[in-house]
Amino acid sequence: MTFSRRNFLKAGLAGSLAAGTGGLLSGCGTGDTIKAFTTSAAGKPRRGGTLRAGLTGGSTADTLDPLSAVTNVDFSRIDNLYEPLVGLTSDAQPVNVLAEELTSNQDATEWTIRIKQGVTFHNGKDLTADDIIYTFQTVLNPKAPGSAAAGLASIDAKGMTKLDAYTVRIPCSTPFATLGESLAIPGYSDIIPVDYNPNAPVGTGPFRLKSFSPGTQSTFVRYGGYWQTGLPYLDEIVITDYADETSQVNALLAGQVDVVNLLSQDVISEVEGQGKNILLSEGGGWNPFTMRVDAGTFRDVRVRQAMRLVVDRQQMLDLVFGGFGTIGNDVFGIWASEYDHSLPQRHQDIDQAKSLLKAAGAEDLHITLITADIGQGVTLAAQVLAQQASAAGITVNVDDVTVTDFYGTSYLKWIFAQDYWFYNFYLPQVSLATLPTAPFNETHWDNSRYDSLYAQAIATTDASLRTELAHEMQQIEYNEGGYIIPFFPPVIDGFGTNVGGLVPGKSGLSLNAYDFKNVWLT
Amino acid sequence: MTTAIEVQERVGPPSKASRPHPIRDTLIRRSAIGVLTLLLVSILVFAATQILPGNAASAVLLNTATPARLHALEVQLHLNRPAVEQYWTWLIGILHGNFGNSLANGQSVGTLVGGRIVNSAVLVILAGVIGTVLGVGLGVLAAARRDSLLDHVLSVGALAITALPEFVVAVILVIFFAAVVWHLFPAVSVFVPGTAPWSNPAALVLPVATLVIVIVPYVFRMMRASMIDSLESDYVQMAQLKGVPRWRVLLVHALPNGIAPTIQVIGLNFLYLAGGVVVVEYVFNYPGLGQALVSAVSDRDIPQIQCIVLVLAAFYVAVNILTDVISLAVSPRRRLPRS
Repeated sequence: MTFSRRNFLKAGLAGSLAAGTGGLLSGCGTGDTIKAFTTSAAGKPRRGGTLRAGLTGGSTADTLDPLSAVTNVDFSRIDNLYEPLVGLTSDAQPVNVLAEELTSNQDATEWTIRIKQGVTFHNGKDLTADDIIYTFQTVLNPKAPGSAAAGLASIDAKGMTKLDAYTVRIPCSTPFATLGESLAIPGYSDIIPVDYNPNAPVGTGPFRLKSFSPGTQSTFVRYGGYWQTGLPYLDEIVITDYADETSQVNALLAGQVDVVNLLSQDVISEVEGQGKNILLSEGGGWNPFTMRVDAGTFRDVRVRQAMRLVVDRQQMLDLVFGGFGTIGNDVFGIWASEYDHSLPQRHQDIDQAKSLLKAAGAEDLHITLITADIGQGVTLAAQVLAQQASAAGITVNVDDVTVTDFYGTSYLKWIFAQDYWFYNFYLPQVSLATLPTAPFNETHWDNSRYDSLYAQAIATTDASLRTELAHEMQQIEYNEGGYIIPFFPPVIDGFGTNVGGLVPGKSGLSLNAYDFKNVWLT
Repeated sequence: MTTAIEVQERVGPPSKASRPHPIRDTLIRRSAIGVLTLLLVSILVFAATQILPGNAASAVLLNTATPARLHALEVQLHLNRPAVEQYWTWLIGILHGNFGNSLANGQSVGTLVGGRIVNSAVLVILAGVIGTVLGVGLGVLAAARRDSLLDHVLSVGALAITALPEFVVAVILVIFFAAVVWHLFPAVSVFVPGTAPWSNPAALVLPVATLVIVIVPYVFRMMRASMIDSLESDYVQMAQLKGVPRWRVLLVHALPNGIAPTIQVIGLNFLYLAGGVVVVEYVFNYPGLGQALVSAVSDRDIPQIQCIVLVLAAFYVAVNILTDVISLAVSPRRRLPRS
């Protein structure tokens, strides 16, 4: 851990990251050190300046359409142009942004949303109930559904009614107690105006569009009419796409960019050694291994449990992310209030794995793991798993395909693969991934008890009852599920000494979901 | 090369007016073959994109691809039509000068690729010209002072550099001149979209220097060898005995004969530059054709892939024709009847 020792030595200098040595492995405490940095080095917020961001993960398929955002870097533009009804705090909890109040009826089949007044789009138009209705009807248009369509499928968009200029009634075809949480998923409730023109997009966000070249560069300027008085601090943002971490880090070191995203642990020491800073976020995104519970040897729950038992989670995290990040327990939704922290932490147990395999008649298990560079550390984790599994006599052939192949015709059909998700609340994640009707049911999970628990949970407005039901669902996943969730990866970003106001965020998106409105330059 | 020889063999009749023009004939014949080659290339590339798993719709949607969204986008991008029909529509478009729209972002491929062509061309031409001049010059110098210390240093240096992959050269340059030791030049070459690369000349220095360093050794070694050959030839020794000044012997008598084999190497270097800039573009985040092609392939953006491949293929064909024509033109045997 030379990394932490160096930080410790640098701690005397104002402005150093000084990441708490103890906090590195547990993942806690990093937030405090970053806050200490921003107040000590960058001082008070200051108006003006151009923030230059060098971001990887984009391509010529970059988009400004908030309803079709896909990649991490898409959100760098979307999150500054538009605003959601409900957003995420840096602790990944839901917070009203454009919404003033959300209320539902007793069985969660009808919601009423009151929105903030005095909010304007970049073309000067007032935000009203009409825009909310228009946005949801666009997202849920069956002919061209947005990326949120599957997650918001319970909403009856056609039945939405305007109660007054700032209030909307949303009927739901099935109970939808977690509407607020679902709206908080990045990109799920970004509001576009009724006359939305994709070629000249306007939102209510802190910055408005100046120019956009997909896969190359985009620029944004401060929106003077932004409703949060005093914000944003910056005059302009220039986002440049980088194809590769090497050039991205070189640009940061040479002072050509101020912030960079999605770094690997390998460059941390180089960045810090050259006097730049690392923003370390715990991240709630997750990179599961996916085992299809209806195919091949994975049909046998004992084989699935054996696979979960061969993983040395701490070692995997150490090798893939230098020990940063959070250990997982094969259950998703880590920051959700329903997440069951009482489930015993699963550790590597080769003997038990072997005996489970023996009982299942699969001692000499040969399987192919499909991996691709779909997220930071994903392919490396696959290699580590293959190594660790060999201890139990399991042969894992790692087949590294391209990202496009991975998400091509066989996506959601791979027998043993991986995936990449941003943070999501527990029940909304279930509706996307682990119900027979879920659009991304990559493990082909189909458990009637589990489904009925979900149906009860989604229909009750009683949060404690919901938590109880969710705990039982997690118990089932923990005992029988098709996911191996060894860890929740950290998000490692870098920034120059001239940047203030950055805080770590837990959404799995970089730079606290690219919250540039609170960033300033010294 | 074979074509050039065939053409030479056919030449001979003394009557100047009726004599077929070897250079013109080569140009016409090779250009016709070139166009045919391009057509074949476009069919092959299209077929290859059909074999690859996934299509533009799944590449755009990635992990947000629900069946409903996938279907909607496929219809919007006309990917649900038969492959032959897609190719035919594209080909008809090309013949009308319309390269189509990107499947990834809907923008015109002509505009998207046009800027990239300019960027890459600037890089290739600058590196090619500087590298050629430097390589030829150093080669002549080393041959003229054969077995001197300078010759040995240059030869060993050239050999050593040949062993370095271009990304290593690039990274070393960045470490020394941009990111770590001295902050003299930009570490990455970022241009405001829509502006030409020469608007920011400092950003060109390191990528061009990398490519120059990579290609100079080849030109140098070829030039040195062929210069030594021609310096040892009878006519050069004759010229020296006649008392022709040293510089004149080198530049007027030996160089023209020595450069003919080098032209093929220079041509090869330009071909390498057109394809091989990919790595350099990656290291410097240089917005060139190579990077665009990599991105287009992973996006399954067929119109953009086709356009870039055709531009590169056309460049290959053109450089091949050009090197053969220039070889013909500078070949002393060709010039013999005139002098």
